[in-house]
Amino acid sequence: MVNVTLKLNGETRSASVPPETTLLRLLRDQFNLTGAKLGCDVGDCGACTVIVDGKPVNSCLMLVGQVDGREILTIEGLATADHLHPLQKLFEHFGSLQCGFCGPGVIMSAKALLDENPDPSTQEIRDALGGNLCRCTGYTKMIEAIKGASCILRGEEVPAVKSA
Amino acid sequence: MADKPKVVDKPDVLQRPDILKPQAPAPLVTFPVEVVVPEGRQQTPAVGQRASRADGRLHGLGQTKYIDDMYFPNMLFAKIKRAGIASALIKSIDTKEAEAMPGVIAVITGRDIPCNSFGPSLKDQPVLADTRVFHAGDGVAAVAAVSEQIATEALEKIKVEYEPLTPVLDPLESLKLETPGIHAPSANIYGHKIIKKGDVEKAFAESDHIFEGSFRTQMVEHVPLEPYACIAQWDANGRVTIYSTLGRITLGRADVGRTLGIPMSRVRIVATVVGGNFGGKNEIRAEPALALLSKKTGRPVKCVYTRVEEFTSSTTRHPLIMDYKTGVTKQGKILGRKIRLVLDGGAYCSWSETTLGKACILSAGPYNIENLHAEAFVVYTNKTMTGAMRGFGAPQVCFAYESHMDDIAHTLGIDPLEIRLLNAFDEGSLSPTSQKLHSVVVKESLLRAAKLFGWNGLGDAGSGNGA
Amino acid sequence: MKSFEFFAAKDSNHAVTLLAQHAANAKVKIIAGGTDLLADLKFTAHGPDVVVDISRAEDLKNITMTDQGLSIGALVTHTQIMRSPLIRQLFPALVDAAHTIGAVQTRNLGTLGGNLVTAVPSMDSGPTLMALEAIVTIAGNGGRRQVPLSEFFVGPRRTVLKPDELLAEIIIPKQNLGKPTHFLKFGLRKGQALALVNVGASFWVDWDKNTFLAPRIALGAVAPKVIRAVQAEAYLEGRTITPETMAEAGRVAVNDAKPISDFRASAEYRRNLVAVLTKRALEGAWALAQTKRLEGSNGKRNA
Repeated sequence: MVNVTLKLNGETRSASVPPETTLLRLLRDQFNLTGAKLGCDVGDCGACTVIVDGKPVNSCLMLVGQVDGREILTIEGLATADHLHPLQKLFEHFGSLQCGFCGPGVIMSAKALLDENPDPSTQEIRDALGGNLCRCTGYTKMIEAIKGASCILRGEEVPAVKSA
Repeated sequence: MADKPKVVDKPDVLQRPDILKPQAPAPLVTFPVEVVVPEGRQQTPAVGQRASRADGRLHGLGQTKYIDDMYFPNMLFAKIKRAGIASALIKSIDTKEAEAMPGVIAVITGRDIPCNSFGPSLKDQPVLADTRVFHAGDGVAAVAAVSEQIATEALEKIKVEYEPLTPVLDPLESLKLETPGIHAPSANIYGHKIIKKGDVEKAFAESDHIFEGSFRTQMVEHVPLEPYACIAQWDANGRVTIYSTLGRITLGRADVGRTLGIPMSRVRIVATVVGGNFGGKNEIRAEPALALLSKKTGRPVKCVYTRVEEFTSSTTRHPLIMDYKTGVTKQGKILGRKIRLVLDGGAYCSWSETTLGKACILSAGPYNIENLHAEAFVVYTNKTMTGAMRGFGAPQVCFAYESHMDDIAHTLGIDPLEIRLLNAFDEGSLSPTSQKLHSVVVKESLLRAAKLFGWNGLGDAGSGNGA
Repeated sequence: MKSFEFFAAKDSNHAVTLLAQHAANAKVKIIAGGTDLLADLKFTAHGPDVVVDISRAEDLKNITMTDQGLSIGALVTHTQIMRSPLIRQLFPALVDAAHTIGAVQTRNLGTLGGNLVTAVPSMDSGPTLMALEAIVTIAGNGGRRQVPLSEFFVGPRRTVLKPDELLAEIIIPKQNLGKPTHFLKFGLRKGQALALVNVGASFWVDWDKNTFLAPRIALGAVAPKVIRAVQAEAYLEGRTITPETMAEAGRVAVNDAKPISDFRASAEYRRNLVAVLTKRALEGAWALAQTKRLEGSNGKRNA
């Protein structure tokens, strides 16, 4: 067994798990944080994206021993039910998600982008989402929502978006 | 004579100024209730509008619970052993070593299924292959264990003896009557449809030009982000509750009742928000096997497909082989069209009959053709199952008839837009099966699209301005 | 995944000790970023007995100038390469190559050393480094040894590393610092794509004669390992730099390539790509040489 202690969404948490446990399984099975999803388990789809020490990563590609002592942010740490992050507000407002399965991963990638780049261009947003696959939406409303969220975070008003 | 439908001016995007301003307090959860009720024949005002979905908030919070997010006390995990061979007889299956593994609680094979056949129309699909393997993704045994890893390792300990058979992989081979039937004793053609209208040979004789074209499309997998997941458990009254990503739960109840040999009233299927379906989750997969494992072990049993299994052991879009022959006047007016479609129907029927029907009816395209002969076949092959996928045969034939139209226009030196305007449906046109069509806006749409992307006619091919 | 024993190394020396301890009588795998290793282990029936985690060895994460040249630690991630001011200034081609690998998430985890050690012929870090005649430092129980990158790869997924060795450092030799280099990759998508063909090309310019000096071209995905297009290089050496000679070099490079047909592309299509990408990579290096010249560095080999 491997003992890990980490800072998870601001709280110190510990677990004792088999060494082959991935960070994704740790989050879902041990800590009941099911926001990060298992879509492929090999780092292709990005549904498992969480932020480790400030960087978005595929949690299915990290062993628990590698995250001991690190700081993890998951979708559950982004907001509570009565205080949404601007990304979550606008994803809801613009209808950016359909089935929702890719959502947590996309939002975490977007959050990591906006933490580093407060005014991303459309191409920079596309690049940031390059590791998050979505089969439902075609990404356009996600990009609008991320642009809009960047406005809110900069203290600016979100420009109205044209109908289809 | 029908009126043209009224086109309503689309209202502006739902304005929520409080959200769009920074530092605004988070809005309470309100559901959009402003719905405009359309008058008769009025274009629905929802088209072109933006909609806020009721489940959007929970999705963004990561709080939506999909099937794999559900856990039950004492739950076991199931894995399915895949045949890995396209066509074979199963001589024997030895599960003793797997059953003896620590952590393995139960193993079942096709022999354990009370009625080992199901399907949305033809009941040709086994829950677990018992005497024959029809495609490499067939399941031959299922294991329930205390962890997914132990279940996976137990699969390696199951010994299956196969007698390989020559697989049939080419649908055109399968079409030949002399090819041995995959689902013997039936022939491999398991669906057939003909649409005849007018006199196609006479139309060809009167045509100025005859064009022939052959088109093929490939197998496509839906790849929903959420893999198939299912949990089965029984209650004290002998009823099974199945949580599944299945889209058609009433059909699922019927198939589970049939395969388990129990009345449908004893089967409860719970479906929740699905992580993408697109047609690939329209029939049961391992539900009966999980129900049996749960019954045998007395515990809830969960199975989640790997991404590889999503490719090998779920339904896909039918590949089509499409042969077209069209007779036209020198102006490009279609006088007659003859079509033959061969659908690669994979190992099992699944939704092939619907696909066959749709493909055949739509194969002529949205064009007024008085003389038509469209014939479609669906054949078995020892390949991945083909079933429902958005369009049900429409996308494939669209590729064929539009490519064919472009070829005709190009050879005759006619503007591809003009040739379509010459032939396209109008209000009141008859479909190939003589259905009178309403709300027909093909020509308006073509003209509007051409304007939007700056199509200036044949001379400017390739130099249109962007919208 | 099958279970294994897990050991976290504190630094490279500790990693070497752990390898020496276990590699003799167990199947040992090293994990750095895990992007290749874990993807493999998820679906294999034959995993390692021991996994040594080197991801915390800070001494393998430096990008520095040494007297040998530019030293890049094996654990430098692709994201770090993209952001390193030193690499951005000296070798924008390495930045371009890193940017084509996977996606943001995999670039944050994946390391340069890992990309080289996994040794798939289509690797994106290999061609540029090969064109710059890079050397690798290998750490083992007996100390460190150095091997030219061109001799490091043996075949698909095989290198000269022994079971108790690890890749520590990649060095771009001093004499090639600032050499104009360009990298191009062609995949079936713009992101998360395996290269059908990738090319790294570098050359110095003899500004008096306007000829190629020490041209080096490396091709990926067209042989069992990344290879140098030696016939194309021989063609270019001393030849005048013109669009025609660059195009011809592309055609000659096709003779150096031995591509196979697979479900991604036919051999014929790959040969086509070799000709075009080689030409364009040379054009890119030429554009960079001209820019550097305008900026003051003379694009000539350092004495």
